[in-house]
Amino acid sequence: MRFMPEGKYLMMGNIAMSEGALAAGLNFFGGYPITPSTEVIEHLAARLPQVGGVCMQMEDELASINAVIGASLVGAKAMTATSGPGIALMTETISMAANLEIPFVFCDVQRNGPGTGYVTEPHHNDIGLMRFAGNGEFQVITLAPMSCQELYDLTIVAFNFAETYRCPVFIMSDAYLGHLHEVVKIPSKEKVEKMVIKREIPEDIIGKFSYKDESTGKYIIPKPPIMGTDYCPPMFLSQPHSLEGMPTPKPQIFTEMMIKKITSNIDKIALTDTYKLDDAEIIIIAYGLPVRASYRAVDLARKEGIKVGILRLITIWPFPDEKVKETVKDAKVVIVPELNYTGVIAEQVERVTNLNTPVIRIPNVCEIHHPHDILKVIKEVDK
Amino acid sequence: MTRYEIRVSGFGGQGVITLSKMIIMASSIYEGLAATQTEAYSAAARGGKCWAEVVVELDKNIELIDYPKALKPYDFLIVLSEESANDVKVDFIKDEENTGFLIWDPTTIKKLKVGKKINKVLGIPVQKLAVEKFGNIVFGNSILFGIFTILSGIFSEESALETIKKFVPNSTLDKNLEAFELGKQEAMNFLNKIKEENN
Repeated sequence: MRFMPEGKYLMMGNIAMSEGALAAGLNFFGGYPITPSTEVIEHLAARLPQVGGVCMQMEDELASINAVIGASLVGAKAMTATSGPGIALMTETISMAANLEIPFVFCDVQRNGPGTGYVTEPHHNDIGLMRFAGNGEFQVITLAPMSCQELYDLTIVAFNFAETYRCPVFIMSDAYLGHLHEVVKIPSKEKVEKMVIKREIPEDIIGKFSYKDESTGKYIIPKPPIMGTDYCPPMFLSQPHSLEGMPTPKPQIFTEMMIKKITSNIDKIALTDTYKLDDAEIIIIAYGLPVRASYRAVDLARKEGIKVGILRLITIWPFPDEKVKETVKDAKVVIVPELNYTGVIAEQVERVTNLNTPVIRIPNVCEIHHPHDILKVIKEVDK
Repeated sequence: MTRYEIRVSGFGGQGVITLSKMIIMASSIYEGLAATQTEAYSAAARGGKCWAEVVVELDKNIELIDYPKALKPYDFLIVLSEESANDVKVDFIKDEENTGFLIWDPTTIKKLKVGKKINKVLGIPVQKLAVEKFGNIVFGNSILFGIFTILSGIFSEESALETIKKFVPNSTLDKNLEAFELGKQEAMNFLNKIKEENN
């Protein structure tokens, strides 16, 4: 049974993500267990065979990601799940998959690092690694859920993005969210089926790979070719390729296409949400777990008459430059609560505002933000 | 604040995590309240110092819990092992009307040091009762669940019963319901005792 019956379920974050993947049509999972993502492979090892899919525990992370790419090439909807040390090992193949425009979804249940780190604590410290996940220039999509419900919902979105834009799509989870138990509302089978973009054998003979349509200036991303079907290239080379998939001596055009096929669609990819932003002078930019505490902090601050609102980034990569620029242009100050010390997203905000607006970080490491942590900073900057 | 903070601690295998899951299921699935549960991970859950926390939002209009960890002082604290009992300090428990309960088990804990300084403390040999009356230590969970249902009052008895049906195998359902009933009785007696003392 691929679809869980419609209803409310009590679920752990990692399981909600796995069920979201199944609903999105997952039929291959290749992985190597690692805390705190282990429940994903445990759950899918039981569930995938029930729906005619395959869950393979490989000998290591390298084999896992290569199996995922191989499965996707022959038409499977494929994914893997790991944590920081795993993604570090997998970058070589992620880079190759990006080059070949092979769609796949990657769930990173982040834990503290570097190295082995503290394995059961949440730490958003792989965000940079997700953005530059391998050698070469390419764009990825990274989604940041904040609850078990969103781990389910956004995983479906992630699979659709992978099919549409043919690039690596990351789901940014963490040790806390992955192990959190919450109620997840599963929609009806009909509703889910309407949402999901299916993998189909492309009908075009040419145009197996993305290209720029010179007459319109738009970037066209055809459906991914499926190995073993008609008109599919007999082999794939991870070199700069033309629209037919043949090696091309024009890496400039190829690299531009790799970047622009994502950035020219940023309006559709960069999902954001706002909360009480209309008259806000102080703006919180948050993603993932800290969003939850931010909602409360804003409510409490508003009671005291402080004009504060939230711009929530659901997609963190590609970074929505224009949206952030537009939102913060009249802001007195921007607050960025993050579950990492550097302030990876705070740096991005500083970049788009040209350092004209003060950006205050609230860096928490392995300790999720309490609403009062954020409220305290709001009050300080309001003085 | 409309948050209800619950913590259960003991050692792995006592049913600490199961009890917390029963509490969140009754509150969220059957009572329709927003709730989050977190638990000890890895070695702790298998014989070490084990804990689980539940936060229930009593305001039905709130759909998302802003801070998913349980905060001190707790509304409800259950301690089931010597080690976890030694950690308890007086300010761990809320000192308010109708809330701030501490439940401990004299089967596994020799003496609760802070016992006299906290108002609503119930020491009940849950594990001993489970073995004596129902023949197996596992029924202790249903006794505790009965106590929790009555004392906290955050979900209805119906929700609690539905939860038990979901959690226990059919063959032991009757015994579990009896154990639940026993817990309820103990809790009611305790509430009456508190009332008399206050009068």
